[in-house]
Amino acid sequence: MIRYSPFNWILLLLSSLVLLFILAPLAGLFLHTSAPEFFETAADREVQQSIWLTLWVSFAASLFSAIGAVPLAWLMARKNFPMKKIVQGIIDLPIVLPHTAAGIAVLGFISREGALGRAADTIGLNLVNNPSGIAIAMAFVSLPFFINSARDGFTAVPERLEKAALNLGAGRARVFFTISVPLAKQSIMTGFIMMFARGMSEFGAVVIVAYHPMIAPVLIFERFSSYGLQYSRPASVLFILVALLVLVLLRVLPGRKKMTQRTGDAEA
Amino acid sequence: MLKLENINKRFGSFRLSEINMQIGEGEYYILLGRSGAGKTLLLELIAGLSIPDSGKVWLDKEDITVKRIQDRNIGLVFQDYAIFPNMTVYGNIAYPLVARRMSRDMIRSRVKIAASEMNIGHLLERDTVNLSGGEMQRVALARTLVTEPRLLLLDEPMASVDASLRDDIRLVLRHLNRKGHTMIHVTHDYREAIHLASKAGVIHNGKIIQEGTPADVFRRPVNRFVARYAGIRNFFRVTVLNQEGKWKAVCDNKLVFSLSENTRPGEGIIIIRNEDVRLSRVKPEGNHDNCFMGTVTDIIPSVYGMEVMVDAGEKFCVDIRQEEFDYLGLREMADVWITFPARAAVMLTDNDN
Repeated sequence: MIRYSPFNWILLLLSSLVLLFILAPLAGLFLHTSAPEFFETAADREVQQSIWLTLWVSFAASLFSAIGAVPLAWLMARKNFPMKKIVQGIIDLPIVLPHTAAGIAVLGFISREGALGRAADTIGLNLVNNPSGIAIAMAFVSLPFFINSARDGFTAVPERLEKAALNLGAGRARVFFTISVPLAKQSIMTGFIMMFARGMSEFGAVVIVAYHPMIAPVLIFERFSSYGLQYSRPASVLFILVALLVLVLLRVLPGRKKMTQRTGDAEA
Repeated sequence: MLKLENINKRFGSFRLSEINMQIGEGEYYILLGRSGAGKTLLLELIAGLSIPDSGKVWLDKEDITVKRIQDRNIGLVFQDYAIFPNMTVYGNIAYPLVARRMSRDMIRSRVKIAASEMNIGHLLERDTVNLSGGEMQRVALARTLVTEPRLLLLDEPMASVDASLRDDIRLVLRHLNRKGHTMIHVTHDYREAIHLASKAGVIHNGKIIQEGTPADVFRRPVNRFVARYAGIRNFFRVTVLNQEGKWKAVCDNKLVFSLSENTRPGEGIIIIRNEDVRLSRVKPEGNHDNCFMGTVTDIIPSVYGMEVMVDAGEKFCVDIRQEEFDYLGLREMADVWITFPARAAVMLTDNDN
């Protein structure tokens, strides 16, 4: 229990102001959206498609990134190598870049003049204005969240558990998949969710590589710039609700699965 | 069986230097040392978790210095057991067998045998998070033994176990050694060496400073550090001389001890085991090699009775049993006589430490 000293009152007041600062605009958004407007927007196919596109592209971007991000996070947690700090700086770089600048950089890379764009072009894939390009832009700006969270998770796994597994005859890969990853699972999952959420809400980088097909943040912007505040509100409310629902589900599902998972681990 | 040859290893500001060790088949070797002396690092070098900067590790005449950890078949039980928290007890013990791609039936039967040998058959389906220290110790041992290691390394196996369970673990370890397991056990507790070891070594600042049977090491410590390790508290800086055919040791403040004949002249340190010094309230009758009057300065309870500090010109520490303490009616500032035989005064050979 908090004791009510003057200092605690001040803390309470300041904390409430911060919470109010976050909640007030959102509350305003919800309160200014009428039910008929909301349901009409929810039934709009264009809105539905853009939300669905946002969700699956961001999910796919996070999932594909995991293939490289998890091993990189392990390396950053476990190994010391020359220029490690520079590598960490590179990982954090997308966080500090203006997102439109990130979008320009990605566009240069995936357009036909860029290395990746040319490679994709040889198999007939144009990455610009394409879900693959959107995924790349989302991954570019949101990868640091995944890597850093997974890295913290691996750091927290006692190294001697990995050493014990090696001593028991397991190869490096087996140790990684049976000890390191399962024990850092919580943080890897948190990183995945953070990357997914960050990717989902990305506007600046995505709008540069793909105005169409429209992800939800671009659609909201388009409705706002073409029709004004009132018209963009219901789509915003809908997207916020869907995003919240998905995040809650992602948080809850792995926790439930964990209960049944333990006994079978090494028997397989 | 295991031979370490001129092993050197730098680890931050610490270094293991010129480690030479030889352990025979079926031996129980206890390596004693304070924390930070290099004990765990040495075990890691043997297990392959670290590679020495120079020197060689031989196992059964094979050079395993840079052999992969997975291929050495040397079992290491970590100080805090390193039980995998994401698996059940069964999962932990089965882990090395799964890594060896054994069949499911084979794994099941070997896990059951190992678990029953360690008396943890009833715990197999349990999660490891709620196990007691003693149970975890047994799980860790079973998990290592199931691999049938050529050599078993134990890092402070008693350190994280309640005092009441140490006897049980000691029995388990002795039993394993009798079954033929060659074992290296590192500890900071000399009593474990006395109870278990067939050979003991003392490591200090990254060097092995004495090696031999536990009796050798504790009866004839080479220096003050080892002597302290053996629980000896009576150290005297002396000058040894021969007076009319008898060996005498003159302490810094002129107290003179009679020594046995097996000594040599010069300056050095003499140790006297606490239990070799006798206490009495009246001057003992008969001829005693060394007999001094002193005053009790402090009385400290110990596991076996009391530790009595006596100032007889030099400070002595005497261990006596509780009954004897009660019989003598000792208290601080009481006058007492202390006696000890000449053979109890041992000259340290390596005075530098």
